[in-house]
Amino acid sequence: MSGEMMAVDYYIPLIMFLIVGAIVPIGALAAVKVISPQKSTFQKRATYEGGLRPIREAVIQYNVQYYLFAIVFVIFDVEVLFLYPWIYVYASEVIPTLGGVNIAIIDMLIFIVVLLIGLLYAIKKEALRWV
Amino acid sequence: MVLSAITEFAAQEPKIYGLVIGLIAAAILAAVINVVAMLLVWLERKVMGDFQSRYGPNRVGGRWGVLQLGADAIKLFTKEDIIPRGADKPVYVWAPIVAVATTMLVAGALPFGALIIDGREIPLVVANMDISAFYIEAALSIMAIGAFMAGWSSNNKYSMLGAFRGIARMIAYEVPMGICVISVAIMAHSLNVVEIVEAQSVWFAFAQPIGFVIFAIALITDLGRMPFDQTEAEEEIIAGYNTEYSGIRFGLLYFQEYIVFLLGSILLVHLYLGGWKGPVIPVISFISPMIWFFMKLVIVLVALIWIRVSLPRFRIDQVTDLGWKILLPLSMVNLVWAVVVGMYFA
Repeated sequence: MSGEMMAVDYYIPLIMFLIVGAIVPIGALAAVKVISPQKSTFQKRATYEGGLRPIREAVIQYNVQYYLFAIVFVIFDVEVLFLYPWIYVYASEVIPTLGGVNIAIIDMLIFIVVLLIGLLYAIKKEALRWV
Repeated sequence: MVLSAITEFAAQEPKIYGLVIGLIAAAILAAVINVVAMLLVWLERKVMGDFQSRYGPNRVGGRWGVLQLGADAIKLFTKEDIIPRGADKPVYVWAPIVAVATTMLVAGALPFGALIIDGREIPLVVANMDISAFYIEAALSIMAIGAFMAGWSSNNKYSMLGAFRGIARMIAYEVPMGICVISVAIMAHSLNVVEIVEAQSVWFAFAQPIGFVIFAIALITDLGRMPFDQTEAEEEIIAGYNTEYSGIRFGLLYFQEYIVFLLGSILLVHLYLGGWKGPVIPVISFISPMIWFFMKLVIVLVALIWIRVSLPRFRIDQVTDLGWKILLPLSMVNLVWAVVVGMYFA
């Protein structure tokens, strides 16, 4: 690979991967259309529910507890996103030190401790209890 | 001669070059990965048979039953294609396609070993990005969408529960897994998987054992394998998110699971077990990285199958508890460990 490639250029082969990855299953489905029998009946196309006729729709209202998981996930996932750029800067010489320790590390430790307290709070409030 | 012409073309027209290389590599990899995934299904059934004191496949293809999966594929291709009448048809049809296509996105950035040519190590990777570890992790979590589409569109209560569980499990383990990748990147000073492998003079499995265990557990949950296969727990919710799928549509979802199993194991080998690094074997030195890579890969695959046959399934509340309340704080500890060890002992 030459040094003149821009960062975006590395992603171009991945577009082809996505296209080929879609063509393979579509081709398989098309092949099945040709070679497999097609004798669909009303009963065959019923939804499976232990042999009984399905009662009501399956798209149900789920417990609100589920929503709390999602909220906590967003918080911590954003935290992880903040950590990724931090990897590249934390060891650089530019960042000042405090008592011999790089200040970026101290900052991140404080950040992590704050988030851990938040996690502890969420656990104590039973936000992460599966029901 | 030809090689220099190609590199010159690559320098002049990087976009066209990328498209052509991507197309060729994707076609080859799609074929290879599908065959390897079939062999992997065979390996798993055979190893499970050995663990459970039975034969496993032994009819089609000689004593070892190697062609069993070919027979299974023929069966899946000739089965009738049934779409349940309650299903949300477009989503139902697209779910397996999305699942397989997003899996291929992972394959594009993952190195498949390396060759030594003229004393230089050439990693076999298509898209060698600066942030490939981050990218692979992101692509791994996109795959949960395929499973959720399948479960939600089926309009079946069991599928719906499987889909809910899949997402809950994914979000519980995504954060510890991400922090483990960060810890690895801190020690390697890079997010590029190739550079992470190069940086492992000591395997990261030894440099950060906590991270290795957390990552392995999170990976097994991401792959949806046995102690953590609540999305398709047969005894509880029939077959989970793919209850309504049959024939080739089921086959695609099933193969996708095994492709992810393969790719996830490769990721584990690269991040923690030194990838293709190992002492150079004389005489066949140019493929010695490949030999090391495949040895490690097979050991990881068999170990994961071993875990599958040994451990019973956890309940879904135990799984989310493990992820949020134990692995997440532990992964933070591992992060601090990686920073300290990386600073003073690197």
